[in-house]
Amino acid sequence: MSTPGVPPEQSAEELFEEAPCGYLTTTPDGTILRVNRTFERWLGVRRGDVVGRRRFVDLLAPGSRIYHETHYAPLLRLQGEASEIALDFKRENGPPLPVLVNSIAVGEGEGAAIRTTVFDASERRRYERELLAARREEHEIARRLQESMLTGVLPEAPGLAIAATYRPAVRGLQVGGDWYDAFWLGEGHLGLVVGDVVGRGIEAAATMGQLRSATRALASTGLRPAALLEALDAFADRHRVGVMATLVFADLDLTDRTLSFACAGHPPPVLARGDDPPEFLWGGRSMPINAQGGGHRERTEADCDLRVGGLFLLYTDGLVEHRGSDLDEGMQKLLGAVGRRRDEVPGTLTERLVRDLEVEEHRDDVCTLVLALGRSG
Amino acid sequence: MLFAHGFGCDQSMWRGVWPRFAARHRIVLFDHVGAGGSDLSAYDVERYSELQGYAEDVLEICRELELSDVVFVGHSVAAMIGVLAAAKDPELFGALVLVSPSARYIDDGGYVGGFSREDIDSLLESMDGNYLGWSAQMAPAIMGNAERPELGEELTNSFCRTDPEIARHFARVTFLSDNRADLPEVSTPSLVLQCREDAIAPESVGRFVADRLPDARLVILDAVGHCPNLSAPEETGTAIAEFLSG
Repeated sequence: MSTPGVPPEQSAEELFEEAPCGYLTTTPDGTILRVNRTFERWLGVRRGDVVGRRRFVDLLAPGSRIYHETHYAPLLRLQGEASEIALDFKRENGPPLPVLVNSIAVGEGEGAAIRTTVFDASERRRYERELLAARREEHEIARRLQESMLTGVLPEAPGLAIAATYRPAVRGLQVGGDWYDAFWLGEGHLGLVVGDVVGRGIEAAATMGQLRSATRALASTGLRPAALLEALDAFADRHRVGVMATLVFADLDLTDRTLSFACAGHPPPVLARGDDPPEFLWGGRSMPINAQGGGHRERTEADCDLRVGGLFLLYTDGLVEHRGSDLDEGMQKLLGAVGRRRDEVPGTLTERLVRDLEVEEHRDDVCTLVLALGRSG
Repeated sequence: MLFAHGFGCDQSMWRGVWPRFAARHRIVLFDHVGAGGSDLSAYDVERYSELQGYAEDVLEICRELELSDVVFVGHSVAAMIGVLAAAKDPELFGALVLVSPSARYIDDGGYVGGFSREDIDSLLESMDGNYLGWSAQMAPAIMGNAERPELGEELTNSFCRTDPEIARHFARVTFLSDNRADLPEVSTPSLVLQCREDAIAPESVGRFVADRLPDARLVILDAVGHCPNLSAPEETGTAIAEFLSG
């Protein structure tokens, strides 16, 4: 097909036919007008069988056919070109050929056409698949890591009911670093913790694991809440973990039902007692863990009397922070929901709070921990 | 008239169709939650695990805007969303226009939907392949359309804001749906617009939809492809206008 007397490298015909990419032109509705030899070879088709007889979309594997009709063709119509679209061509003999295509609409009226170049993307597609699989695997590992740290047995005792929920972000995003914990401190003392570390993914899950273990270990030495936070600051500072993590640590003395707690930059606990409306506990507040780098930070704690029938709730900000509405609104909603549900069994209460606050629509992780006195189970 | 877009696009798909109806109808355009300019934080995997969730949205729009005698125009999967909405609350709707509808994409016994389960899985794979590129690569190319900036705007909304996870989920819900049993429940007068050659919803599928709807007229368009609202807006608009006046 080369022009007599013209060297191949100067023949437009030759450059078209033997280009190192597939080349085809179609009418605006996709009917094939012309293909080059590279295209014929790659797909195992002959031009006589496709020109004027087949449409571009007919040559695609089924999945790509749908993609073509729902994305690629509309895109071409709307902007006159489309580039780097990944498609699969059917092949006469063999598996589908993964390609990247660029298309441009040219001419108008009767002369209107679409020019498309086709690049073999077999290797690239394999690589992309591996990347995608790796990303999904990482997400899965982080999720399992976090879940494995949040599935221990909660303390049990007559007249005491504790329940917790952990709800990972609804979709797509990597897991966060929320955690809850409840453990015996000996002699009728119970430790309760809910915390949240900065960041997402495996790193956040690992940081959470460290802070959670450190909190447990420090609590077992008999430190009071404010002193525990100070020790946690020192730990975080020394080991350079958990900067700006927030948490609440509470120590419940079951003999007289008093609760001491300290809150490091974390949303305030909720208390519901007797017939009083539920309230936030704004005492014992100080900065997040290891905020503003090292140095000594003043930690404070507060006490309250839980009384029989009392309910104490810890949670992470995902429960009250709703994209598009303000925090106050979310917090008022939480008080309302606790008020309505305070007599329910903690196990269902935590689930229903999450539902009442429409956490289903959240993109953030949510952790809740509820303790009820004077009730079991 | 309420225009609902299908999978893969947003309301800009109707730009060549709706203007001719604006003189005689109140025009309502919207993006499904998860598509186009919608609030992605309103996306709820549970709610949108069935087309019914999208149909509830349509009913909510109608009630919120206090619409009555609604002409619902739905393309592709939105046609079935309209079928579900009209079956649930027939009082709201005056007419249904179903553009390139399919009640079931996957072959089933004697029913020919056009695709196998494996085909749908390969679609989900090709979406994975494409969204890797969409996010970073496409945005500047689209934004840079200097001669026709309005197109850039439309496409940025339509494609670049689409969250890959949502798109995958919508694809799964769409192409695994089976709404054949819902068709006889629709009492609203309906128009089925079927393209001559449609790689997604072949003519037999359009005929099936029109046959099962109790009060439907089938019009075969000369347009080819799955999106006559975009490739042949004149012809599409004329067919709708004739149906509404007749």
